[in-house]
Amino acid sequence: MEGGINAWKGLRVEGPPDSGMAYFAPATRPEELIALAWYLEKGSHIFYSELSQRLTDRAAKDLFKELAVAEERHQATLSGLYQDFAGSTSTAGFPESVIPSPEKGEIMEGGMRVSETLDWAKGREVKDILDLSISLEAEAYDLHLRMKARLEDPRGKEVFTVLSHEEKDHLDRLSSLLEQKT
Amino acid sequence: MSILDYFKPVSTWPAEKVRQFMKGKTPDQYNLVDVRQPKEYERGHLPGAKLIPLGELKDRLSEVDPNKPTIIY
Repeated sequence: MEGGINAWKGLRVEGPPDSGMAYFAPATRPEELIALAWYLEKGSHIFYSELSQRLTDRAAKDLFKELAVAEERHQATLSGLYQDFAGSTSTAGFPESVIPSPEKGEIMEGGMRVSETLDWAKGREVKDILDLSISLEAEAYDLHLRMKARLEDPRGKEVFTVLSHEEKDHLDRLSSLLEQKT
Repeated sequence: MSILDYFKPVSTWPAEKVRQFMKGKTPDQYNLVDVRQPKEYERGHLPGAKLIPLGELKDRLSEVDPNKPTIIY
């Protein structure tokens, strides 16, 4: 790439190659990775859902509502993957029965606490909230691709492939709206 | 890697062309490699980039899929 990273005007993420991976460290099986990822999707769902109710800007409200629905869909996708991997016909007890959440309270993609992030968002401009959401999605995208590269189990890789594809779509949509707002 | 690989033409793309290229693809369709030092990567890297410092590249070429386009910075 001409000019290297200095010429890059798009998204960047910070942190060492193992940043954020500690969250997934307790998982020893793909099913546990799925459960841990599910907790993050749930946190993101709550975050976007709450934002969609709070904001008055129509375009932002609609986008966050769609993202909230998408995160809920990701939870369903992960539940389905869990069934495939575990050879189970039921998701009863999932994800708690597989592995308990390693955090107290809800956390979301990007590793932030939902309640703290929602507190931060109070009274902020839509542009700032979009900026933060893009950063969180970019960090999650980066983490999931690094996790995929690190794992040897093809089934574990598949979990992170699914998640990273979805996050890329979210990033594109959030970035488009931010471009419209600036 | 053979000696002939050193003579293969490599195109240089402007950052905007790279951005457009990646926008239309999933991350499975290309390799994105950061060849800087770990501290530089840590200060900021493109989302999804794999860190392979230039000095390690020769020994870690197996981590780069030769069947996909590779973007290096």
